[in-house]
Amino acid sequence: MNMRTKKILIPLFRDEVAPRFDLAGEVLIVTVAEDGAVEGRQGLVLPHASADDLCDLVLSRDIDTVICGGIEEEYYHYLRWKRVDVLDAVAGTAEAALTRFLAGRLKSGDMLFAGGGDHA
Amino acid sequence: MPTAPSPPDALAPDLGRLADILGGLPIGIAALDRDHRIVFMNKALEELTGFTSRESAGIPCQHVLRCGLHLLGARQGGAAGSGTEPVKGRETDIIDRHRRKLPVRVTRIEVPGEGGAATLYLEAYEDLSPLRDMERRLKDAAGAGELISRGEAMERVKKVLPAIAQSDSPVLITGETGTGKDLSAQAIHKASPRARGPFVRVNLGPMPEHLLEIELYGRVAEEGEAVPGCFQRANGGTLYLSELADLPAAHQAGLVRVLDDQSIIPAGSDKGVRVNVRLIAATHKDPEELVRAGTLREDLFHRLGAVRVHLPPLRERGEDVEFLLTHFLALFASRFKKDIKGFSPRAMRILHSHPFPGNVRELKNIVEYAAMICQKDMILPAHLPGHILAALKSGESPAAGRAGETRGRKRS
Repeated sequence: MNMRTKKILIPLFRDEVAPRFDLAGEVLIVTVAEDGAVEGRQGLVLPHASADDLCDLVLSRDIDTVICGGIEEEYYHYLRWKRVDVLDAVAGTAEAALTRFLAGRLKSGDMLFAGGGDHA
Repeated sequence: MPTAPSPPDALAPDLGRLADILGGLPIGIAALDRDHRIVFMNKALEELTGFTSRESAGIPCQHVLRCGLHLLGARQGGAAGSGTEPVKGRETDIIDRHRRKLPVRVTRIEVPGEGGAATLYLEAYEDLSPLRDMERRLKDAAGAGELISRGEAMERVKKVLPAIAQSDSPVLITGETGTGKDLSAQAIHKASPRARGPFVRVNLGPMPEHLLEIELYGRVAEEGEAVPGCFQRANGGTLYLSELADLPAAHQAGLVRVLDDQSIIPAGSDKGVRVNVRLIAATHKDPEELVRAGTLREDLFHRLGAVRVHLPPLRERGEDVEFLLTHFLALFASRFKKDIKGFSPRAMRILHSHPFPGNVRELKNIVEYAAMICQKDMILPAHLPGHILAALKSGESPAAGRAGETRGRKRS
């Protein structure tokens, strides 16, 4: 039986999900087995921040899901059109976002910092 | 999950007052604590970002405001949002909750506490979208996409169009046929505050008197249905009379009255109807000559001619001829899906020596014809319309480089 792995890409701003897709300087790529176990992690520093280049990277690495902060409409729809799931407007550390995603509870707009309102 | 630090308690009553004071400002304001977490956002900033103050409280500002400034500042080594230099009127952009990138201007103020260290930051966000929209409108109207030119003669005209657009004064556009009078009128409308209103073009060619009156002023409902005239159709926008010389003398007095009173009297009625219209008129004839000949009322000429735009004929536009030839060739080659690289030197010489009495419209038609019949990768003389080659043979056109002999044409 083929166990299909999934690949998740998270643009980073230090240890957080990058607040801006188009301004991210590095990314984290996580490979996850079908049972949810993390099989591999890779950090990549990008030569420069660019939404176009980041989209190219997503496609060239066969990424299944992007977890990001703010992303412009055209890039959001482009990735969706290319059958990449995009969970955007996620605010929090990359680890918190990944943990929630692996638990099947992450959705677009989740704010994972403790704060005043009800965020996630 | 770490708990969010709250602002110093001593500030709490002041923050409450601050929120009240800043709440109603039309400019977006965020108050941030020492660690650049959101303390509150006023209504204007909520509307700009799409996030509420309540849900944003305690969140690091970069995740709510998503401002390039915060991320750049952090890269320079400070805390996210800090930067290493004061921020005053810095232009940047944000991405709002609805995934729109919006241009903003940001100013940051530090509010020092006891000991001088900042206890609070206030950031002001000015939405620059309306300004950028206006700049784009003015740029479009300046002819980047419509009135094609490179030479000084036409560039001078294009420079004044945006300024003319901003006033409501009537405009008189003069120029030979095919020089771009219609495009200029549209450019003025698009750059004006009336751009969202209608642009109504009226051809006042020969027509029966009673139909002309209805066309201009409309008709109230009697036996037939009510018909709005061109002034009513253009209400709130621009009315463009494409050939002023076609307006019969009898109606010119009526036009003077409309310009003075800003109202019309529809056919079949004796009551005036107010209209809010900016009038642009054009003529290919010399208006002063028309006045001298008695075919244009002087009072109408003075009202329309307060703002004049004269479009130069193609023969006075020097380098624009080659530029326009190249531009239209690219346009039509693409349209006809042909790979035509350019004009042969001989074809270009022939075209340069043609006087183009029909100006840009004629040039465009010639290039369209040539591109249509050309089956090679270059436009040759054989692809040019017959009348140009005939003029060349008969010697009417000073082709083959007889320098200095022109019909008033200058070459750059």
